[in-house]
Amino acid sequence: MIFAGIDAGSRSIKVVLYDAATRKVVGRGIAEQGVDQARLAEALFDQTLEASGLGRSQVARTVATGYGRGSVRFAQSTVTEITCHARGVWQTSPNARTIIEIGGQDSKVIWIEPDGRVRDFAMNDRCAAGTGRFLEMVAARLGVDLCKLGEMSRASARPAVISSTCVVFAETEIIGLLASGAAVADIAAGVQKAIASRVSTMAMRAVVPPVYFTGGVALQAGMCRALQHALGAEVRVVPDPQFTGALGAALVAADQAD
Amino acid sequence: MKHCLLKPLSLDAWDDRYRELVQSGLIDPFYGGPLSRHVTASGDHRLERLRFDSSPAALRLWNFLLTENERLRQARAAGDRLVGAMKDLGTVPVMAFALKGLRAFYPDGTWWTPCLMEETDCLLPKAEALGIDASFCPVRAMLAAFQDGGHFPRPDFLICSAGAVCDDFSAIAQRLEKLGFPVLWWEIPRRRAPEPGETHSVLPGGMVTARELVDCVREELARVGKALAELAGQVPSDAIWKEGVQAANHVRGLLAELRRTVYRAPVPPLPAIEMLIAEMLAIHYCSDREETVAVLTDLLDEARRRLGTRVGVVADDAVRVFWVNPVADLRAMNLLEEWGGCLCGSDFMFTHAMDFIPENMPPLEALARMALADPMVGPAADRAARVVREARAAKAEAVVVARIPGASHSATEGRVILEAMRHALGIPGVEVEIAPVCDAMQPTLAGRLQALLETARARRMKKP
Repeated sequence: MIFAGIDAGSRSIKVVLYDAATRKVVGRGIAEQGVDQARLAEALFDQTLEASGLGRSQVARTVATGYGRGSVRFAQSTVTEITCHARGVWQTSPNARTIIEIGGQDSKVIWIEPDGRVRDFAMNDRCAAGTGRFLEMVAARLGVDLCKLGEMSRASARPAVISSTCVVFAETEIIGLLASGAAVADIAAGVQKAIASRVSTMAMRAVVPPVYFTGGVALQAGMCRALQHALGAEVRVVPDPQFTGALGAALVAADQAD
Repeated sequence: MKHCLLKPLSLDAWDDRYRELVQSGLIDPFYGGPLSRHVTASGDHRLERLRFDSSPAALRLWNFLLTENERLRQARAAGDRLVGAMKDLGTVPVMAFALKGLRAFYPDGTWWTPCLMEETDCLLPKAEALGIDASFCPVRAMLAAFQDGGHFPRPDFLICSAGAVCDDFSAIAQRLEKLGFPVLWWEIPRRRAPEPGETHSVLPGGMVTARELVDCVREELARVGKALAELAGQVPSDAIWKEGVQAANHVRGLLAELRRTVYRAPVPPLPAIEMLIAEMLAIHYCSDREETVAVLTDLLDEARRRLGTRVGVVADDAVRVFWVNPVADLRAMNLLEEWGGCLCGSDFMFTHAMDFIPENMPPLEALARMALADPMVGPAADRAARVVREARAAKAEAVVVARIPGASHSATEGRVILEAMRHALGIPGVEVEIAPVCDAMQPTLAGRLQALLETARARRMKKP
């Protein structure tokens, strides 16, 4: 039986198709988020099914998560990202006790029990300084592709200090750093350090190892290292971190069908 | 056996219900009437987005709340003197109402006006024009309300506490005085534990503080009492204040019973939003002490009746949530229930006004001790300890700490409370910031509250 998970995030929509019989992911797709969220989610869902050689009638249940979960009208139920990320990470990394998730619009710390249930969580969804949005702003300001920003940070020997706790003011600081001749690599690394610092504050020094890192920002080279440094703990990136929420939603759909 | 679920009513549905009630013989108080009239008469548009309990007792509560300004004007016309008791969570009103011809009210209560009127009367921008901008608590709306006179009548006498109170309010009240509204200030010192060997006093709620602080507040209250008595043309006496304390304890007793009945029920018989408003009556009686007793008695009767007939306002499996701090947008209390939670306990920042004022000591001594038990005048850790104690007794499954944008007292205490809850009870909690009109923030709010409720529900399942 096939179960579908749809993560309608602020930046992108992700779909995962999960076969409960074989316990394997049989299809997945990703598309940029837009204005007509309902139509985009539906189109991606159909494309992913087609690419996987499946039809809607073969999908036993669909669960939606993410900020736009309410707009995924064809889903049978909606579940929050906290539950879905925890479920998704636990599936691939059952020893996880703390999950750091950084997405385009928010960041979260999720503490989970050995049996995979969420024990507690903390969220930052009111300030862009601890989210992927900060990286997007910096990439645009530096005139580099978002994907390249992380790679550039690796060349940094001395990350710049970004002291503002607000992205708008941080942008002003970055302009100042550029004007003073700071290396782009140092600025990129400094921004990663600032994001990691926000996440560390949110974690309230209560990180329980092993710590896993998920969400789209986990794909950024250098971000994991910055987090490790800020948290003072080893941090591992989960496989395909941008799909963890959708995978978790598909697994929740399977759980709900049991 | 499952409870019968009573659904809340929209404003339109309440109009139909009101007609039914009138036809079946509803006896309305003098401030009664259909709820929708507050939208047309006062511009309280937020009511159109709220959901209300369907009982006549709830109707009376809402009408009582929403007619306060009219009733104050009527009281003045009848010859009463109006006392604005600012930054006061239940002390000076106890004294003012003990004096014949005085009626205390709570100008700070205007902080809900931007919510009720959905900011259509522009109180917040007007406050900004008066020098108090959005970096302050929404209580800054009060400043504009004083200036434009379109809400509550200008009080005959203004009293405000200073010292260990929130910075925002002190700044706003000082600005108010500069604008030509004279204020009688009284000092409330920061509560502290006694030093080793130092004489101490026990406060309502069980906290202990240094004796010298109680002496200081008692003297301050004597000064306030003298001024109030002068205004009323009376001679202050312990007998007068004692009457005030006894009457306050009557209200507090009713509230304590209402909270016990609703929060300890397996399924709450009254909704969160009505409980929040009922609890607010403890601090200032919504300008009418006798009517407060009638309103609370009706609510208590209704809660008991529902409990006896197994009627609840949420599903049987609703997550029991302990709520800390009042919300700037009343809609948030509806959302808690719409998303599957229920209120099992609360600390709306004035828990000391729920405690009985001791009657076995001189009344000003008792009032001083009560004032010093205010959660806002002491360390956040004291407040957290009480929240933990009450949440444990309420069998809370989760905790929500609401933040008020710009409020200085909300800046860090949420974290202290959440950490204490996690440590002592091991239950999940979130901190949410709720603006006066939170519609645009609803996805954010939904993310947090729904995740909290999901987490609490998952914890109910037996570990494999």
